[in-house]
Amino acid sequence: MRSSLQAVVLWGKKAPSHSITAIMITDDQQTIVTGSQEGQLCLWNLSPELKILAKELLFGHSASVRCLARARDFSKQPYIISAAENGEMCVWNVTNGQCVEKATLPYRHTAICYYHCSSRMTGEGWLLCCGEYQDILIIDAKTLTLVHTFTSSQSPDWINCMCIVHSMRIQEDSLLVVSVAGELKVWDLSSCISSIQEKQDVYEKESKFLDSLNCRTIRFCTYTERLLLVVFSKCWKVYDYCDFSLLCTEVGRSGQFFAGGEVLAAHRIIIWTEDGHSYIYQLLNSGLSKSIYPADGRVLKETIYPHLLCSTSVQENKSLPFVMGYINEKKEPFYKVLFSGEVSGRITLWHIPDVPVSKFDGSPREIPITTTWTLQDNFDKHHIMSQNIIDYFSGFKDGAGTAVVTSSEYVPSLDKLVCGCEDGTIFITQALNAAKAGLLEGGSLLKDSLPQKVLKGHHQSVISLLYPHGLSSKLDQSWLVSGDQDSCVILWNIFTEEILHKFFLEAGPVTSLLMSPENFRLRCNQVVCCVCSDHSVALLHLEEKRYLFCARKHLFPVRMIKWHPAENFLIVGCADDSVYIWEIETGTLERHETGERARIILNCDDSQFLKPESVLSVASETPKHKSVEPRSSSSYQFGPVPCPGLQVEPSCKAIDAKSFSGPFNVLPVKTKWSNTGFHILLFDLENLVELLLPTPICDPSNSFNGSEILRRAKSTVEKKTLTLKRNKTACGPLSADAHAKPVSESLAQGDNSITFFEENDGIKRQKKMKSSKKTHPKPSRKFDANLIIDAAKLLLSCLLPWGVDKELDNLCIKHLNILKLQGPISLGLASNEDYSLMLPGWDLCNAEMKKDCSKVNLFSRKVLDLSNKYTSTLPNQAGMPKREENDCDSLQESNTIVYLLRRLFLVNKLVNMPVELECGIDSSFKMESVHNKVKSPGNDILHISSFYSYLRNDKNESHIPEADVSLLKLISCWRDQSVQVTEAIQAVLLAEVQQHMKTLKNRPINSQPESITENGKYEKMQIQPKMEWAEALELQCVTDSLPLQTSTSLVKHDSNSNSANFQDTENMPDRCVVEDSESPERIDGNVLEQYGQEHLSMDFCFCFCYVLKHT
Amino acid sequence: MATAMAATAVERAVLEEEFRWLLHDEVHAVLRQLQDILKEASLRFTLPGSGTEGLAKQENFILGSCSTDQVKGVLTLQGDALSQADVNLKMPRNNQLLHFAFREDKQWKLQQIQDARNHVSQAIYLLNNRDESYQFRTGAEVLKLMDAVMLQLTRARNRLTTPATLTLPEIAASGLTRMFAPALPSDLLVNVYINLNKLCLTVYQLHALQPNSTKNFRPAGGSVLHSPGAMFEWGSQRLEVSHVHKVESVIPWLNDALVFFTVSLQLCQQLKDKISVFSSYWSYRPF
Repeated sequence: MRSSLQAVVLWGKKAPSHSITAIMITDDQQTIVTGSQEGQLCLWNLSPELKILAKELLFGHSASVRCLARARDFSKQPYIISAAENGEMCVWNVTNGQCVEKATLPYRHTAICYYHCSSRMTGEGWLLCCGEYQDILIIDAKTLTLVHTFTSSQSPDWINCMCIVHSMRIQEDSLLVVSVAGELKVWDLSSCISSIQEKQDVYEKESKFLDSLNCRTIRFCTYTERLLLVVFSKCWKVYDYCDFSLLCTEVGRSGQFFAGGEVLAAHRIIIWTEDGHSYIYQLLNSGLSKSIYPADGRVLKETIYPHLLCSTSVQENKSLPFVMGYINEKKEPFYKVLFSGEVSGRITLWHIPDVPVSKFDGSPREIPITTTWTLQDNFDKHHIMSQNIIDYFSGFKDGAGTAVVTSSEYVPSLDKLVCGCEDGTIFITQALNAAKAGLLEGGSLLKDSLPQKVLKGHHQSVISLLYPHGLSSKLDQSWLVSGDQDSCVILWNIFTEEILHKFFLEAGPVTSLLMSPENFRLRCNQVVCCVCSDHSVALLHLEEKRYLFCARKHLFPVRMIKWHPAENFLIVGCADDSVYIWEIETGTLERHETGERARIILNCDDSQFLKPESVLSVASETPKHKSVEPRSSSSYQFGPVPCPGLQVEPSCKAIDAKSFSGPFNVLPVKTKWSNTGFHILLFDLENLVELLLPTPICDPSNSFNGSEILRRAKSTVEKKTLTLKRNKTACGPLSADAHAKPVSESLAQGDNSITFFEENDGIKRQKKMKSSKKTHPKPSRKFDANLIIDAAKLLLSCLLPWGVDKELDNLCIKHLNILKLQGPISLGLASNEDYSLMLPGWDLCNAEMKKDCSKVNLFSRKVLDLSNKYTSTLPNQAGMPKREENDCDSLQESNTIVYLLRRLFLVNKLVNMPVELECGIDSSFKMESVHNKVKSPGNDILHISSFYSYLRNDKNESHIPEADVSLLKLISCWRDQSVQVTEAIQAVLLAEVQQHMKTLKNRPINSQPESITENGKYEKMQIQPKMEWAEALELQCVTDSLPLQTSTSLVKHDSNSNSANFQDTENMPDRCVVEDSESPERIDGNVLEQYGQEHLSMDFCFCFCYVLKHT
Repeated sequence: MATAMAATAVERAVLEEEFRWLLHDEVHAVLRQLQDILKEASLRFTLPGSGTEGLAKQENFILGSCSTDQVKGVLTLQGDALSQADVNLKMPRNNQLLHFAFREDKQWKLQQIQDARNHVSQAIYLLNNRDESYQFRTGAEVLKLMDAVMLQLTRARNRLTTPATLTLPEIAASGLTRMFAPALPSDLLVNVYINLNKLCLTVYQLHALQPNSTKNFRPAGGSVLHSPGAMFEWGSQRLEVSHVHKVESVIPWLNDALVFFTVSLQLCQQLKDKISVFSSYWSYRPF
């Protein structure tokens, strides 16, 4: 099962560069798909009026896209395939932008044809591929595995182009190809299917040498079933399909290179060139042929000569080369469209008239351009959505215009976003708040008060950043290293904002900064490695503030850095596949190797290595870190040690999804060949729910009364202190404990994110780090509770379809304490391998939504329907936690948020379930039978009921209500109906919020402070160190005066929930994993954690078994 | 302050002028140079169909090695195909002389040469349609073109410098073993490949492992050159390599081609470097 993350993209004002290398229009003529040299795919919406609007950008390839093709019968499944320069192949679902299948084969394709013969084939059909290998490969369209090949007996060579000929007359399919050397070959297709499936060799039926090189296209005229159009780069020819005799040759002007062509109708063709021109010809039968070759002894042959009817051109000569295509109308409202994509990223469409005619005087008519569009147009038109994360700096900079961010780095442990700018300044800001300020209404209030630091020291644009502590926890937390265009590297203390040292490398611009692996040490310390764009590599010793040496002999850009700890070598791999080995101590070149030897050296696995991102691609390269298995203590150390698994791919991935860790993250992305990038906010629903789980699992309202809470809270506190004491002596579980206590820690640490005395903040934090270091070896590894709840709120703000119901909006703002979006935002989905990100203006892609400007962020019209369906299946009594009695509002608020998130998470999981495990629609009965089976062993009742309490947040309900089953069923159905994840999530969120707010509508807001929780808090405070206590009080003063009540609410909420949780765990001893029996007091956050996790995993198990049962 | 501003303005103007020159003149000069070199390189590969003389000319290479004279081979190369082969093998044990040759009607394509040739012509094709009249607008455009050309050239070079690593069953299954007129004895395997500028012929002598042999059977992985003792399973038999003979001969024109590749790669990189010097000044606005 794929784990997917919710993403929100802050695109900025400049569109990412998208140099089109491949273009196609889907069969329904609703989507244009382009592939780019940067490795992304873009989906463009094509309206019935032939208006183009970019919709979605798909990240999945790490190299330039070579070709695109249909991958299924489009009317059944809207799938296309893309193949990249490095052999990657991806199958995409065009409607939702999801990568369905991905494979990397050692073949580079230049063209792909989908072939399916329903009468003789089972399965999804074949992809016939040609490229930089001999002959034709047959690849299974579903699994992307190699089925077999078509081999040639005569002069096998690379194939340039191909086409499938389906002859109506003889009901037989054949494959026509032209090789690089210009040889035309024909294979039988439909009659060979069985022999291919039996893996017998299939040789060509015919072959003929065409006597021209660089064939671009071969097309069969289906109207006459006789003519064959072959376009070479220097000429185009028409052949007779029956005997492959040449009927006509047209040679291009000098400097004109043909790129392709298509048959428009019987005897009418269109030819296009590399520079974006196209020509429509009528092929006329010539009676002259007899007089031309009368004396020739050959059989008299009719000849054809072309007559130019129309032409198209782009206004001015834009960037080369153009990739063009032509799509014929399929049904009534559709057009004949000629389309082209340029390297500059521009798409141009021409509407070709049904009957193209020349002017009255016989000269060719010029067909005007119908539409033209670029990504940048999207960005210019839909300004509000392309918010940049640091746009608010513009006010700060005395109206000097927005700062252009040239590099950025997110520090998850501090929730700080570090941005290096073009003018040499470095901004440090709270990422979450910055995002809020940029996205949410009223976020502008935050703008002025947003804590930010400005580091000034560089004179040129800062192009690389490194936060060493993020890679190796042993390093100082205050350090930040930045490198600029001027080859200057500065070591900063980010808390005091001072320059610790300035290194002048006297080399090229510092394009990337790398940390040596933890096991590599030079004089007990790690070394920073600076890769410069003049191909040199400099080593810096941070602790000693010493410039070790600069390796300058490389002729080609540095692609890979490896460290050899045993012998103290630095191994530098260059783009030309040569290897330089430097001795670090002396700075001398030890060896230089090329060819086979170099490869062996680079591939040996015994030494640690780090791959620098090449100059041209993404900045962030944090070591791979799986977010899938959360919370085990080892997975939380993301040092550079587990690097050997890193891929040695020479071309770099555009996005490294695995660097993600924690519930909220900011991913800076830079595409190739451009300097500006954008930021992606990533939310991990699973992780968010998990981190919030200790809070919501309890439902204090109906299980115990207030006084009990007090008692419980007290005992928890006592036990907690005990554990703390234990921790001081015991070393083993220490680290596990340390990061498993978000609750207690949050009081101490969480405040910083909202303290507005930012000047003191750094110093305070530093002190705290020092003090906390004694007890927690890795204090930075956990996420403070405020951050989590803030992230959760931001996510809800981003997902909620605002404007559907004004009243609802207001209720949400009031009760959930979330802010409204400023405008539609770019949502996205991110899984481990691929990203699909909406582009600014996506909301206008659906034609029917154009008029509705009141609705902000509604993903599609479908959401409303789905939401209504969902509401109708909801049980009559609200599934929400009912807390009518004595709950404080803030507690309820956060509980509601958690409840909503869990719902969303579940929906996400269900919809994302692999298609193979699809369950039948009539699953409700089976569903119940499953349930009964699971129920029968007594112990499992708890589990199953906990699952439902998880769903419904209602502990006392041990039986499964019919409604929930139907809900599950409904959501599973959505998946079958290929409802998009975002649609489903939004629909459920809308329905749940509506449901919830209905109950609240008439209730006055209960605002009086709750004595019980106050007490609980007080107890809690006692175990805090004195200083932090004071700070917490101070914090409370600050936050109390604020309109946002988040922090206070949290304090109360935390303490309360903690106690309640404890109560829970005690009630169900069979599920608490108490590590050692001699001290049962050791029930603290750790156990709660496990408890929560168990809950969660139970959920998965259940989902799984549910689904598996029904396949 | 004012003078400093003026100075930077002047400096900027000069840099801008210089960059324009780079895009308009220098890039085309380099591209022309590249084209000339690559055309020279592609001539070495004697593209079929490009000339009217029909078949490519035949070249004979005598393969030998300095260490042993047990294997001698005469291979005839015609473009990218081996058209004739004569291999003489002196058996080490009984000094018996074995001779085998290609069947008359058969040719063996050297995939490495064909691929290298095709990559070069792709690179030439990429360069072809950017003649003097074409104006580069941005540095990024040049960088993209250079990256595409370099990719093809690197692949062309790598095809020659890195022969395929084959497993022994793959060698046994390859068509090459079926090319010989007196069929190759079952205890012999042959492989022909290009390594850098050399045409290499390896002959493996095999002996069958007894089924009850105490030797630990471990099939050998893929390798360019297997060493004696490598084992594999072929059909139902387990075989072990007993002797390996490798002979080679330098192909002079391959040497030239490799030099051309290296030179043109360096040219490309230098052009990229020149562009990127300027892109650091111009990176944040369109050129």
